[in-house]
Amino acid sequence: MEDAVTAKDGLLPGGRDVPFAQIEATLARLVRDGRRRRGAPARALLATVIAVGVQERLTAAAEALEQLGDVGVRAILISEGTHTNPVARVTEHSIAIAGLAPRYLNNAVAALRLSSLPAAVWWRGGSVEALDDLADLADRLILDTPDPDDVWAKADGLFEHTVVTDMRWPALTRWRAALAHLFDLPQVQRDAASLQRIEIDAKDVYAARLYAGWLKSRLRWTDAVAISIKEAAGDAPTPLVRVRLSGKALKVTLQVKPQGSCLEAAVEGGEASTRIVPLGDGSLAALIGEELGVRTRDLAFEQALTAAREIHV
Amino acid sequence: MPNPLLDGLRIESTPEPTAFVIFGASGDLTRRKLLPAIYQLSRAQRLPARFSVIGIARSEMTDEQFRQQWHDSLKEFAGLEKPDDVSSALAGCMTYLQGELDDAGLYGRLAAKLKEAGSPAGVLFYFAVPPGVYGTIVERLAAAGLTKPPNADGWRRIIVEKPFGIDLASARQLNRLMHEHLDESQIFRIDHYLGKETVQNLLVFRFANGMFEPVWNRRYIDHVQITAAEVVGVEQRASYYEGAGALRDMVQNHLMQVLALVAMEPPIAFSAENVRDRKLDVIMSIQPLLEDARTSVVRSQYAAGWVNGEEVPGYREEKGVSPESTTETYVALRMQLDSWRWAGVPFYLRTGKRLPKRTTEIAIQFRRPPLHIFKRISPTAIASNLLVVNVQPDEGISVRFEAKLPGSRMQLAPVMMNFRYGSAFGRAVPEAYETLLLDAMLGDPTLYARHDFVEASWALITPVHERWAALAAKALPTYEAGEWGPEEADAMMAAEGRRWRTL
Repeated sequence: MEDAVTAKDGLLPGGRDVPFAQIEATLARLVRDGRRRRGAPARALLATVIAVGVQERLTAAAEALEQLGDVGVRAILISEGTHTNPVARVTEHSIAIAGLAPRYLNNAVAALRLSSLPAAVWWRGGSVEALDDLADLADRLILDTPDPDDVWAKADGLFEHTVVTDMRWPALTRWRAALAHLFDLPQVQRDAASLQRIEIDAKDVYAARLYAGWLKSRLRWTDAVAISIKEAAGDAPTPLVRVRLSGKALKVTLQVKPQGSCLEAAVEGGEASTRIVPLGDGSLAALIGEELGVRTRDLAFEQALTAAREIHV
Repeated sequence: MPNPLLDGLRIESTPEPTAFVIFGASGDLTRRKLLPAIYQLSRAQRLPARFSVIGIARSEMTDEQFRQQWHDSLKEFAGLEKPDDVSSALAGCMTYLQGELDDAGLYGRLAAKLKEAGSPAGVLFYFAVPPGVYGTIVERLAAAGLTKPPNADGWRRIIVEKPFGIDLASARQLNRLMHEHLDESQIFRIDHYLGKETVQNLLVFRFANGMFEPVWNRRYIDHVQITAAEVVGVEQRASYYEGAGALRDMVQNHLMQVLALVAMEPPIAFSAENVRDRKLDVIMSIQPLLEDARTSVVRSQYAAGWVNGEEVPGYREEKGVSPESTTETYVALRMQLDSWRWAGVPFYLRTGKRLPKRTTEIAIQFRRPPLHIFKRISPTAIASNLLVVNVQPDEGISVRFEAKLPGSRMQLAPVMMNFRYGSAFGRAVPEAYETLLLDAMLGDPTLYARHDFVEASWALITPVHERWAALAAKALPTYEAGEWGPEEADAMMAAEGRRWRTL
């Protein structure tokens, strides 16, 4: 058996190091003490969130889950390593396990997830081989890696196990809604079939592919519609900077307003129309919060992802 | 043609291009509720791409001044210190029309404005005006051809505020007049209680859970108490309230709606007509008040007292109230529903102004167990199980049950198990007006009152008013402001061995 390791290297700095077997008892004590200290009932726990990834990305995840405030989740943060006898660090509602061997990820999750409540795996990177087993334990799998080609390639198999999404998807919600609402306008409906080209300037090229994939699948575009994606800089907390759809009779532009807090969606020509909507909170906490509110399978996402895999920049 | 991009969109469906026309645009309701609701809907991307607001009132105002009122309203009631991109963009879609509501020319100018706004598919007229002019507005709108959409894809709807009539005859007359010019599907009678999250949750709680409905009947429930308590007095509404009173102001609409949701049979589907049919069944099953010996009504009026840390005058000393007023500021009722489910289960309703705290709740009190087997070792009578739905201010659901106190002795004590919207979901609950305005734009009347419900409700209430009119002031007890109503209300409960919940 390998030596035990501790979670001393950064996650949950205010936590208490305990052997794996004592996690539940320690959590119960911490909850009871917290309730006494605050003089208020403990918050309701609604789900388990299991974040998996490298140390730095788990630190960001821990902070985001902490910011969810009153949305009560049990957070389990696991970084991969080679250890089979890990020590965990716990706070009132969070557990960090460092360096756990990937083959035991699912065992740890099975032991620690809250029974009878939904469990979401927040995949921030790691060995994709562990994903299938985790998907069986999770009600929801949220993909969130900077370079998702390997997990996107496995997506079709994962769709059969659980509800899958990508963190880019909620980040695109406002962009999708802004465009969708323009498609309510009669002239846009009438001329949508004439669209020939989409140009996307994006900070995150994968998000741009997903957006284009969504349009391709919803509007049943063939290869006749040209898709052009360019990397671009931008200050706003949103993955896209500008989207332009054009055809013979129709031009639609979506772009971040100069102050960076709103999105302007405009139809040119004919009965011109402009709509300004807030970009919303694009922080990691807001995005994971939105994902935790969704329980059902998202066919629009699945089709968009399938189409996005075929789009090459 | 269905919009393919809306499919699977997490931001829910939005209405077709809409013009929102507010009659009474300079009034309190517009500033406090309607304009902030429009702003919040826009922030949440729930408004259509083409949306405009046309304000109408008697006050002289330019478009620019109306836009300033918009910004002022958002500052005061939506906490928006200075205009943002969203409010500024919406301000550009706002125009104002000054005019008398009985002036046919006003409606011609309104038609022209709608044309300027691009003849939107949908037009929603909001009557934020006294009920006395509803008929005039509807007639003038119809005469100007504004109640019928130009094509099959369009719609024209009106929202009317309470009170919808002042008695059964006036409600029927108003319904008749409206139906001369409008189809029932175009009329949305708003009751903001129905937009409250906890009131909507009643349907989910009862019909999306398998464990509550089997005990939701006369076999297990002893009685039901519905309370809507206000701390405030009559405030600036004396001229309205003098003619209304608690029975018209609260019971005929809000409390009857809540009662219907508590007592209704399961609808076969969650659709507007199914839900409203089942609610109507409840109202039709309520036995005539005062005629049936099992019913009781207690009215009362607040006298001077002490509320919220300060002395307050009695109702008759309030500004704008007659010193001989017989208007009730408190009413308590015992209702009897003669239905298979509720036979023998009394429903107690109470509402009043100048009560000790602001709270609205529904309390379902269950029967005690048939045998107290712990009597010898724990002689205190065990408390009944209680299920409380808190409508406001602390939205949630609580269940009271007996538990064993830790220790070697067998001691029992009641404990509460609480669900609170605020802590469980950690997200802001939308204002009732946001939900209701959006529903009207989407054409969903589930949370609005139907004409037959309104009339059935007035049919119950009107005989009580007639009886009170004959009794005049001599039978009007008072209660001290800051107390939980008159002794007569307590006596009504005590006569049956029950008492009001202490809130």
